Amino acid sequence: MLKFIGRRLLQMAFLFVLFLTILFFLLQAQPGDISSQFVGNPEIPPEAKEILRERLGLNESLWGQYTTFIINFFKLDFGVSFTEYPREVSDILLSRLPRTVVLFLTATLLAYWMGFATGKLVAWRRNTKLEHVVTVTGIFLYTVFYPWFAIMMLWIFAANLGWFPVGKFITPSVWNNAPFEANQVFNRMIVVAVLFALFVGVVWYLTRRIGDLDRRKWLRRGIAAGGLVVVAFYWMGSDMRTYAADIAHHTVLPVVTLALVFFAQITLLTRSSMLETLREDYILTARAKGIPERVVRDRHAARNALLPVTTSFVLALAAVIGGGIVTESIFSWPGIGLALLNAVLVEDIPLAIGGLALIGLLSLVGHLIVDILYTFLDPRIRYS
Amino acid sequence: MTSPSASADTLLGTDNILEVDDLTMYYKTRGGYVKAVEDITFDLGKQTALGLVGESGCGKTSVAMSLMGLLPGNAEINKGSIRLDGDELVGLTREELRERRWRDIAMVFQGAMNAWNPVYTVGDQIREAIRYHWEPAPSVEVANARIAELFELVGLAPAMLERYPHEFSGGMRQRAVIAMALSCDPKLIIADEPTTALDVIVQEQILKELKKIQDDLGMAIIYISHDIAVIAEVTEQIGIMYAGRLVELGPTPEVFADPRHPYGLLLLRSTPSIKGPRRKLAPLVGEPADLVNPPPGCRFHPRCPLAEERCAQETPVMEEVSPGHQVACFYWERTAELDIEGV
Ligand SMILES: Nc1ncnc2c1ncn2[C@@H]1O[C@H](COP(=O)(O)OP(=O)(O)OP(=O)(O)O)[C@@H](O)[C@H]1O
Ligand SMILES: [Mg+2]
Repeated sequence: MLKFIGRRLLQMAFLFVLFLTILFFLLQAQPGDISSQFVGNPEIPPEAKEILRERLGLNESLWGQYTTFIINFFKLDFGVSFTEYPREVSDILLSRLPRTVVLFLTATLLAYWMGFATGKLVAWRRNTKLEHVVTVTGIFLYTVFYPWFAIMMLWIFAANLGWFPVGKFITPSVWNNAPFEANQVFNRMIVVAVLFALFVGVVWYLTRRIGDLDRRKWLRRGIAAGGLVVVAFYWMGSDMRTYAADIAHHTVLPVVTLALVFFAQITLLTRSSMLETLREDYILTARAKGIPERVVRDRHAARNALLPVTTSFVLALAAVIGGGIVTESIFSWPGIGLALLNAVLVEDIPLAIGGLALIGLLSLVGHLIVDILYTFLDPRIRYS
Repeated sequence: MTSPSASADTLLGTDNILEVDDLTMYYKTRGGYVKAVEDITFDLGKQTALGLVGESGCGKTSVAMSLMGLLPGNAEINKGSIRLDGDELVGLTREELRERRWRDIAMVFQGAMNAWNPVYTVGDQIREAIRYHWEPAPSVEVANARIAELFELVGLAPAMLERYPHEFSGGMRQRAVIAMALSCDPKLIIADEPTTALDVIVQEQILKELKKIQDDLGMAIIYISHDIAVIAEVTEQIGIMYAGRLVELGPTPEVFADPRHPYGLLLLRSTPSIKGPRRKLAPLVGEPADLVNPPPGCRFHPRCPLAEERCAQETPVMEEVSPGHQVACFYWERTAELDIEGV
């Protein structure tokens, strides 16, 4: 296992360097060098320009520039943003990173969890009204033009119904004279959420041997609900509560919008994967064994249908990233995607490159996680 | 339809583990009803092995699935009864059938190569059967001890228990399937082409072992196979099916030596026999009957060299031609004419 992860990490590093190389040459293909972008900027003092040229290695040979470029990346030195001069690009990106990760991760997990459950059920109840309704809705969501869909969501639920704020991360009026930074509160929220997820994971693991499936289900749900109550009490007793609530309120709509599209995709994929699995001989064996139908469905059919759905994540990654950038810009969600988009529009090259590199790195990490997960899901991979 | 003697048997308790009466099962399809099982009647004694043979598509698996209570949604048992150890199975709810499956009747499948779920260990999958059928459900250790015993019985190392199916060869997988079939001490095992996917030597071994296990443990077995030579070796009784109907039933040695149904004769003789004299006979010509619109009367008559006008009008019923040997043919006495011994 460790050997496997080590090998994958090496591959990842190689791919990342390759990715940076491509970025570097795209940069070189531009007319002039990147300093020409800020030569005319009166807000940057001439000494700073010289320092920048030095730091970017623009006085060196092409090969020297290339190595400096690559090495700087591994030192997390992305340079200085032109637009927010003299802020470091890495500083800008790191402060935005949690927001993007939360948006992506919540939407993806929600989509996979709900999509898998729905797809499984729909395949199991083949040729019922439920199946037709879900499939048609799924195909609609899957094929819809996503930016239009996001704007519709915003228009319906924020502008018209007023259930959610119209984009952004916080409501400025609430945060006037706030004793906390938005990121401080947000980080606390992330920590609480991660602890809760760990708690649920441990409960699931500890209850896995309970034979009575109904008892297990309700026990798990009961304990998880208890955990939620504890979390609720924690926030009520915290002086961050108004601020946390404000952030949470802003988070719902972009997460749900992004999740819905992937939910549709996962539902359709799970459905077809499950239908295929149901034709396998081992499903017949499982039925012949006289185990309850629910066990045949979940433990045998769904468990195997999960394999292609898991690998699909790697392929979906590109779409997730694209969707993420669109979501961030439509909901004015101050994450990496929005920063990247703005940087490209105003030609803030260091920020744009930094954003691209970070997104590349994130997708490589996502890929690695899925690969590791897969080895746990499929023993044929684990042992070969 | 039950004869007085049959009901007296039931009252007194018979030596039969399985009694199938007039079993009729159709599949509903867009093209009409597929009459896959029609009026099948047979008894199976305790500890006996019955072979079921017939061309592909004649309904052997359908009979097996009816007995298992494992029919697909479009299948329907129209009439008849299946009594296992005196208990009626036709008309039970799905849940009742599920509880009995594997505990009373276990099955070794056609194409058992893929009978194992790739993501669980073999031991895990056998424990699953045990967990839902033993009363009370045993601990993992007790179950494992039992599985280890069964593994030794079928010739597998008990250490294989915690291995995944892909670590087993084809023959080992099939042995493990047999171990799984034995795990809940069933009264009856149905082996539907249990060895088709395996090479000949492994086939031999496995069937011999199955036979030995049967002698030791004393359950009844129904073998379904294309391989008539195999059936001859391991069964006491043989049933020959044609187009959803049982056309001949009797003690294996007698049926082999002296088949009385023209189809039975042509089928048994069409497999080349290494032992015994070479025979010349009319080949089995024509297509298997269409089960949606089967021929009227005797379903075999369009292909039968002995067919007369009557065969297309009346359906022959099973008739005893010698003790325990039944044939559904009006002209069974003339069947021997077809069996001309050659050089
Ligand atoms: N689920 C089903 N729906 C409709 N027809 C079916 C179904 N299953 C089987 N049949 C039909 O019923 C008939 C009997 O099939 P069955 O599988 O019982 O034959 P078999 O004797 O086991 O054949 P083989 O030797 O090839 O295994 C065939 O004509 C088959 O096409
Ligand atoms: Mg069959």
